[in-house]
Amino acid sequence: MEGFLPWQWALLWWLAALPCLALGVYRLERVLSADREALPLLGVTGGFVFILSSLKLPSVTGSSSHPTGTGLSAIAFGPWVTAVIAAIVLLFQALFLAHGGLSTLGANVISMGVAGPLVGYGIYRGLRDTRVSTFVTVFLACIFADLFTYIVTSLQLALAYPAEVGGVTSSLVVFLGIFAITQVPLAILESVILVLVFKYILQLRPGILVRLGVFSEAKIVAAGGDL
Amino acid sequence: MLRKYRFEILAVVAVLVFCALFLFASSRMGKAEFSGSDTAGSREISEMTGIPEEEYRPLVGQWVPPGPGIESALFALQAAIGGGIVGWVFWYWRGLKAREGS
Repeated sequence: MEGFLPWQWALLWWLAALPCLALGVYRLERVLSADREALPLLGVTGGFVFILSSLKLPSVTGSSSHPTGTGLSAIAFGPWVTAVIAAIVLLFQALFLAHGGLSTLGANVISMGVAGPLVGYGIYRGLRDTRVSTFVTVFLACIFADLFTYIVTSLQLALAYPAEVGGVTSSLVVFLGIFAITQVPLAILESVILVLVFKYILQLRPGILVRLGVFSEAKIVAAGGDL
Repeated sequence: MLRKYRFEILAVVAVLVFCALFLFASSRMGKAEFSGSDTAGSREISEMTGIPEEEYRPLVGQWVPPGPGIESALFALQAAIGGGIVGWVFWYWRGLKAREGS
């Protein structure tokens, strides 16, 4: 649905997205130069953003949508690095698929790359040092990273197209009905798959998760012993 | 055994439930086309503003895949790039682990 975002809003979201991307590139350079094993992990979490966001899946609402796959990357590298990964995927889709355009890229980077991962990251940070299982933490973070992306998309459209009666709130309800409800089963499915991916990372390279401070050593050992 | 593979089992169950939901939804909604939610969103905006959908044009001109088959192929390419990277890394990690183990 390209061309629907008025240029003022497109520009505003671009201006919001650019500093996030700059911070992301800076963080990315730092983490990659600090630890050689960060690159393969980035490959796995970023690879799943590529895979999952390419899938157009049908939902109970009678329409279909794409998962985002950003949750795992947000947990491992934080929301800013995830914004860079999302920007690469979104650029691919804008150039070759007419799925989102260059003018709306800023708005899409904010919803898929920043807002969703930020919420997922917040949930993960809130649960990281509690007794909640690492797998449950990953699951919840991934679900909300996906769902919140589409909640923000709805909000972006509602701000640009407030209803004549009821304004932004009323059109937000309409857009949430279209985007967010469709997304619920997709978000659950995506998160179950990402938990499985997390299990395999944990089995093969638990050390990198400890060194990056994703989870404490005690929690990683406990999760590994539980497999 | 069941506990060891609980996440694999959970993933398979989730996929099956997802397929069942799809079958249920498509049987209840005879006319549902399962077009993208972005298509539904575009229609909604055009209804709200009274401006036909065709009149919304991207600010920056863009290349549009010349058909649904080509679009699907490019989406498949995107998934293949991701899958290739993921597969390579897991292969690399397995190799490292095997070497460390021996």
